[in-house]
Amino acid sequence: MIEVKNVTKKYGSFVAVDNISFDIKEGEIVGFLGPNGAGKSTTMNMITGFIEPTEGTILVNGYDIQKKARKAKKEIGYMPEGVPLYNDLTVKEFISYMADLKLVKRKEKKQVIENVMEDTNLIDVQNKLIKNLSRGYKQRVSMAGALVGNPKVLILDEPTVGLDPKQITEIRNLIKSLGKKHTVILSSHILSEVSQICEKVIIINSGKIVAIDTPENLENNTKKENIITVTVEDLENKIEEAIKPIEGIEEMKLQKDNEDGTKQYSIKTKADIDIRKNIFENFAKEGITIFELKKSEATLEDAFMNLVKNEEKGGEE
Amino acid sequence: MWAIIKKEVKSYFLTPIGYVFIGLFLAMCSVFFYLDVIQYGSVQFEYMYYSAATILTFIIPILTMRMFAEERKNGTEQLLFTSPRSITSIVFGKFLSAAFVMLIAELFTLVYLAILFYFGTPHIQTVLTTILGFFMLSLAYISFGMFASSITENQIIAGVVTIGFFIITWFLPNFSTELTSFSLINMFNKFPSGLIALEEIAMYLTFTALFIILTIIVLQRKKSIK
Repeated sequence: MIEVKNVTKKYGSFVAVDNISFDIKEGEIVGFLGPNGAGKSTTMNMITGFIEPTEGTILVNGYDIQKKARKAKKEIGYMPEGVPLYNDLTVKEFISYMADLKLVKRKEKKQVIENVMEDTNLIDVQNKLIKNLSRGYKQRVSMAGALVGNPKVLILDEPTVGLDPKQITEIRNLIKSLGKKHTVILSSHILSEVSQICEKVIIINSGKIVAIDTPENLENNTKKENIITVTVEDLENKIEEAIKPIEGIEEMKLQKDNEDGTKQYSIKTKADIDIRKNIFENFAKEGITIFELKKSEATLEDAFMNLVKNEEKGGEE
Repeated sequence: MWAIIKKEVKSYFLTPIGYVFIGLFLAMCSVFFYLDVIQYGSVQFEYMYYSAATILTFIIPILTMRMFAEERKNGTEQLLFTSPRSITSIVFGKFLSAAFVMLIAELFTLVYLAILFYFGTPHIQTVLTTILGFFMLSLAYISFGMFASSITENQIIAGVVTIGFFIITWFLPNFSTELTSFSLINMFNKFPSGLIALEEIAMYLTFTALFIILTIIVLQRKKSIK
């Protein structure tokens, strides 16, 4: 559906996006993940044809976004960052204008507008001026603008920024349901959001793609590090002795010295072994009371931090 | 293009801009109608337009300064330029809608003409050429105002650049008589004598086309440097 081939974007000597390539298949929900300034918006702006890449080509549904702009742009619904809207128009007028811009046929227009307003729950506010709407509604109006004309690809730039938790859930559900009919690309720096909604994640940092995978795979790959967190009451300071006999421990660090006299340690072990049972037995023998014993799960957050950190180290060498 | 014209014209009248422009224009015309026509007891409608042409310098930016600057500032240009519409049709749409508002303002001045017809018989040919010439002048002004709006995201700067440019062309003949034919406002002075000044019309249209094309180039170019 979308093919990005060796795309580079330079601003003078600053390279915002550095030779990236990826494919997105029909019906996929793909998340763009990256720290601020990583090049997410720049990449999206290039896919939508708002800015031109310095090098490389982008095909949308087989059409080159630069050479066959009209055909390619017809397949795209774009919700830009910060939800820019025409504040002097009413919701319905705005959607109607977007329908005109997107070459919706006059006969179908009325029906198209109705459907879009229904999908995004805007019927109640259709005659209100956009400037009088709350942020959550504005977000939905912007989404409606992207949806009108039934484009095959939806590109949503930070769709949940600035919303309250309830609205975030609503928008996420909306995106999920849209994913059944459209190919969706969304950018975000909220990791839990991406792992909930997306089937595929593209992690991008300093203009380069660091990883393309499913959220599950990314999490699994990060699990190489096996860390156990344990909170103990160790009055006689015997913890060093207690863990000595346990095999496979690589490192133990004191994390926190709590006020109630307990201490929190993190114990790093070799991958694929679980020493929780040994810890329990040995600590009991030495008279150390365990308050908490937990094996940390790698999250997408860890995967992300790792990838971004590695990348930075690589850059310094 | 129709979609853009429809929306732009609507925007002029959803915001106070359209009303302020037409109101200000007509208010100034009334003053000149009184000073230049009524006070002399003449029926020479075109005298009002001589003075109105100077006022155009200061009110055209009301129509043009927001055209692209506002869209860029608000980010709505992202909606516009990612739609399947071409930059050319967007530019023409915006240009024609400003021209349309100008035309409405000009048609309102026919009320003054009606008053003159009630009391005397104005020379109809000079009236028509004056209105034509004035519209040509405003098209040229609008095209430059639109160009100024396309180069910045600050409406004030767009407006000031526009007024500054008009004032410079206004005073060109003072520097050298050879530059007279490049002064937009001087070119207008031929029309109220009842001539369809083909040379001047050609100049106006060339100027208008030039700045429409420059606007398109600027917007196209912004895609690769933005």
